This record gives sequence, structure tokens and C-alpha cells, in this order.
Amino acid sequence: MSLAVLLDGVARTYGGETVLGPFTHAFEAGTTTVIMGPNGSGKSTLLRLCALLEAPDAGSIRYYDRDAEVPQDLLLRRRVTLVFPKTTVFRGTVFSNVAYGPRIRGNSPDDLSGQVEEALISVGLVHKIRQDARTLSSGEAQRLGIARALALRPELLLLDEPTASVDEEHTTFLEELIVGLGRQVRTTVIMTTHDRHQAEKLDGRILFMKRGVIFPSS
Amino acid sequence: MKKIIGIIIALALMSPGLAAAAEILCASTTSTENSGLFGYILPMFEKKTGIKVKVVARGTGAAIETGKRGDADVVFVHAKEQELEAVKAGFFVNRHDVMYNDFVVIGPKSDPAMIKGIKSAAEALKKISASGSSFVSRGDKSGTHTKELALWKIAAIEPKGQKWYLEVGQGMEKTQRIANEKQAYTLTDRGTWLATKDKDKLDMVVVLEGDEVLFNQYGVMAVNPEKHKHVKYAEAKQFIDWIVSKEGQTAIGAFKDKTGNPLFIPNAKSN
Amino acid sequence: MDYIYEGFRNAFQLIRTLDRELLAIILLSLGVSLSALLVASVVAVPLGVRLGLRRFPLRGLVLSIVNTCVGLPPVVVGLFVFLFLSRSGPFGTLGLLYTPTAMVVAQIILAFPIVVSFVQAAVASVDPQVRLTALTLGATDTQANRVVVREARTGIIAALVAGYGRLAAEVGAILIVGGNIAGSTRVMTTTIAMEADKGNFELAIALGIVLLTISLIINGVLSVLQQQGMRRSA
Repeated sequence: MSLAVLLDGVARTYGGETVLGPFTHAFEAGTTTVIMGPNGSGKSTLLRLCALLEAPDAGSIRYYDRDAEVPQDLLLRRRVTLVFPKTTVFRGTVFSNVAYGPRIRGNSPDDLSGQVEEALISVGLVHKIRQDARTLSSGEAQRLGIARALALRPELLLLDEPTASVDEEHTTFLEELIVGLGRQVRTTVIMTTHDRHQAEKLDGRILFMKRGVIFPSS
Repeated sequence: MKKIIGIIIALALMSPGLAAAAEILCASTTSTENSGLFGYILPMFEKKTGIKVKVVARGTGAAIETGKRGDADVVFVHAKEQELEAVKAGFFVNRHDVMYNDFVVIGPKSDPAMIKGIKSAAEALKKISASGSSFVSRGDKSGTHTKELALWKIAAIEPKGQKWYLEVGQGMEKTQRIANEKQAYTLTDRGTWLATKDKDKLDMVVVLEGDEVLFNQYGVMAVNPEKHKHVKYAEAKQFIDWIVSKEGQTAIGAFKDKTGNPLFIPNAKSN
Repeated sequence: MDYIYEGFRNAFQLIRTLDRELLAIILLSLGVSLSALLVASVVAVPLGVRLGLRRFPLRGLVLSIVNTCVGLPPVVVGLFVFLFLSRSGPFGTLGLLYTPTAMVVAQIILAFPIVVSFVQAAVASVDPQVRLTALTLGATDTQANRVVVREARTGIIAALVAGYGRLAAEVGAILIVGGNIAGSTRVMTTTIAMEADKGNFELAIALGIVLLTISLIINGVLSVLQQQGMRRSA
């Protein structure tokens, strides 16, 4: 199961300054897209719009499940998630952090602990399950952020520079994980990065952005 | 946690409710309460009648005002003129003289204004003002303050605004202590003076006493139930009747301070 | 110097023998302040949360009124409550003046703005990213707010402690509306003021010590609760 996203002439301005758009692109279901571009090129804004955290000032964003357009409500929001470049942890343990999403979806405690453990195993953090989340290193916190997203089994996963603060060893680990998500689970993944090598390793389509629009790739 | 809070609230809110059966509120003066008189006589009254008397201690002016507003059932103060005025205005009924004590002027042992030996209060005050020694005034519209102002009037002196005249706006005991610290004179009631001079280590002596104008009459009166329908007039009347009765008067006469001095002389006219 | 030492020695003696009158005074103080805090908090905490979440009509105006009221002098509050509750005042028929209830009323007014203001500040100071993160994880608006409030818990408890601190230390308002009536509305602070006035420093010091000790205990209990809360959320 995965969602497709269609952006048509999407624009976003902050205080009179256009940071994104007009942006038109179709992210197909089950594909991985890596977006590259300098700071301020509108990558993060694009992800926030796709995550339904903000509304565009112009144009439209549409979501499709197979051929049917999905209404933009809470149910859709719960099929999409965004991982920020710097993870904000909630007070509580690693477990309670990862369990948050499944819990507010009303999952039973039994299902929940399975989901949480699975997600923590995928990011290599299961040994810290009982630890106070605020005592994690920044790299660990970042992996926690990804585990929190994975536990939701999203159909559209938006990753904003997910490995920015992660060490080399775990970066490789996460890259493999993302590749696996695309190949095995067939989640739609849109991810931004600065790292050209990473972009190439991820086995997806690469888009370049500059000043809010797609830049013809080299 | 919630239970504990619940219990505390219940305690706080129910305690007055439980005792509400028969109790009256008496507005009186700080000096009267601080003398310990109420602690001595009220349990006797409660034992006899089952009526609990709660005392709100204020300056005389405030105590009378409390009664006028209907916030008390009975008023027990020492400012006869004001009391009679308020009775005349219809705020109170059933006023009786209860007891008296007297005022004295106290001052530093060295007596810089040299008033020891003078019999007339007016004379003494004139000398104090002429000497430039400080005089500490309660300045709080209390009975003592009222008396003091009357004395200045008799002496034909306007003390207000003078450099040597300090209005402190405090109770009697604190005023005495301030006078002590400042080596000043002050007017006090003998009861407070006797009860506190040793305890507060006051380095002062009585320099003026015995003049008739220093007489301090205490009176009791009930809030007029026609002005304030809710007041417990029957109980207030019972209290007044008791305090002017032989039994109440004997109790007042028997009351002594910690050092064994009688503080008040009962003088209710039997009726 | 001597009598300060004497005062303390006699104070400890008084505390050790804790007579009934003293105990009643202590319990009444606790009862009045805690129930006022509780009643005030029932409204003040949700209001502070709403203000802190910036979801409130006329937020700026309400906030500046609340913050002004934080500094309300207790005697002024006491005076107004007195005038309202007096038999000659608009709520005179309730017969509340010179009762513990009147003291609670005055203290509710004193606690309310402090709790609102501190809760507001605690909630507003939560990293806005917390709320966004909750939203990315599929939270509804209400659920996201709940996360923000949970993050602000330490500050909310601090708000309650500050509110209690103000009430426990307060003497002006409860003296005016309570009347410091022996066995009825006499609490620790009014007793301390009165006994100091009378020169009975032992009793004043003893109550001062008790007052401090209770504040210490309450702070301790709250910080333990806070830690427990943390563990439970784990």
C-alpha cells in the first residue's frame, strides 16, 4: 500500500517572499525520490506541504490511492508522516516516544509493543527501549525519530535530511533501511539530502531544486 | 492526593458551619483582646449559656464601623462619646458601661521634659510640646488615639504636623515599643503598660497619672436589629446582660494579668 | 541577641508539645490556602493552557490583565472582598465575612492570576516543534495540545507551587476578611503578625518555623509527584 502525490503549480510564500514554486511534479506510488539542492531551495517547505502541516498559497496538492483521490482529512494525515532534520523527543522513554503514534490511533497495547519493537529494531535502537528519550545522543535521537515514523507504517514517508546528525556507520544502516522500504514495503518515500553519494545510493529518482523550483538535472 | 485535599477542604469549610449553632460575633479593640480579658471571661459565658463569642479585634473606630455595617452582633469598645453618638444615630441599642481602666503617659526614665510630679494632663502635654521631646501617637483612630487627641485639645495644642509628633498607626504595644526605641513619650492604657513593660523590657516609667481626664470607660452595646435584621440580637442581649450582671462583673474584677495586676475595674450600673 | 535565642528555644518547645490550638491554626492555614489554590486552579490551569497555546480570543489583552493582577497587593484584594462580603455590601446576605470561606474567596483571587500567568508561560515556552512533531505522528489538534501540556508539566507544577507560596505567605487579605478570630479564622500568618505585635516572639517564631517547614514539605511532595509522573509516562 502506498500513496501517490500530485503537485500542480504549488507555491508558498512567507512574508511576501516566495520560497517554493510554482512546483509541479508527480511522486508516484511506491517510488523513492531524493531531492537535492542548496539551503533555501524550498526542499523543506515542499515536504511540510506534502505532510499537510501547511497549506499552499497557490496550486493544488492531491493524494491518490491507486486511482482514487483521497480526501484531505485526519485519516489521510495518519497515512503520511514527516521526519524533521532534528528530532524533537517527547518526555518519557524511547518506548513511549515510538508508541505515541500507534497509541493515538487506538491500537491495542499488545499490537503496540510489537510495532514499537519492530520499529526500534529497524533503526538499531531496541536495546535502549526503556531509556529516558531525552538522554539519547543527537544521532540516537534522530534514529528514534525515524523509528517513530516507521511504527506508523506510513504510506507516504517524508524524510528531511534524516541522516544529517547520524554517524557514518548508522548512516549506511539507515540508507539500507530506506532502500528496503522502497523495495520491499513499497512505501512512497520523498527524502531530501545534501549528500550526492547518498542520493545515488538510495536507488531512486533524483530531483534537483533551486530557488523553489525543479532544476533541470545534470 | 485528591482525598487529602478533599479532607482539608472539608475541614476548612465545615469548621465554622459545625459551630454555627449559637455563636455571636463581637467587634472589640485590639487592646482589649491583647489584654487577655476575653480569653478569661468568654469561656465562663459560653459554659453558662452555650453561646460562643467570637472576637474580631480592631481599632475602636473600625470596631464601631464593623457594628454599623452589620458585620458584628455586639460591640465592646472604649470610646464613650462615639458610642453614645452611634446609639443616638440608631445603629446600636442597649448600651451599658462595663468597666474602666485608666490612661497614663509614659516616657523615658530620664524624663527630659520634666513632667513627673505634674498633676494636670494638659500641663504635662504643654511641657512635652515645649521641650521638643518626641511624642508617639497611635494614629489609628483607636480609643487610645481618640483620648489622646482629646487631651491635646484640652491643652490647646495642635500636634499634627509637628516635628516631634510621630503618628505610627500601630497597636498599643507596638506603639510603646516604638516610644521606647525613640526615647519618646506616649499615652497608653495602664492595662497594656502593666502587662507588657517587663516582657518588652521597656526602659520607661509612668510620668503622668491620676488626672480625671485620663479615665477610660469601656462600654458594650448590641447592633440594632431594626437596622440589620440578620443580627443575633437575642444572644447579643444575653451576652450584654451577663457581662453587666454580678457574675460578669465579678469575673472582670477577678481577671489579672500575668504579673498579677488587675487590669480592669468593673463599674456597670446594676439595672 | 539573647531573646532571639530564647525565642527559638521556646519555639521548639512549643512545636514539640504542639497544643491543640496551635494545631488548629496550622490546619486552618493549610486548609484555606490549599482549597483556595485548588479552586483557583480548576479554572486557572485550563485558562493558562489555552492562553499558552495561543488559542484564545483577545489573548494579548487577557494576558496583560492577568499579568497586572499577579502583583495585586493582598490588602487591596482583602479590602474589596471585605466590601463585597460585608453585611452592608452586595453579597452581605451570604453572611460570609469573618469566616474561613471569606478567606478562601480572597485567596482564590490572589492565586488565580499567578497560576494562569505561570501556566501560560510554561505552556508557551514549550518548543513549537513538539506540537509539529505530534501532528506529523497523526495527532489531532487536541491530541497535539495534550502533548504540549505534558511537556509543560514541570512548569505547571511550578505554577501551583508559586501559587501556594503566595497564599501561604499572605497576611493582608485574610486578616481583613477573616478578622483573625481566635479558634475560627486565626491562621499562621495572622497569628505571627499579632503575636509579634504583642511581643510574644516565641509563638511567632514557632509558627514561622512551622510555616517554613510546611512549605518545604509541600515543595518536596510536589517534586516527588513530578518525578513519579515522569516515570509513569515512561
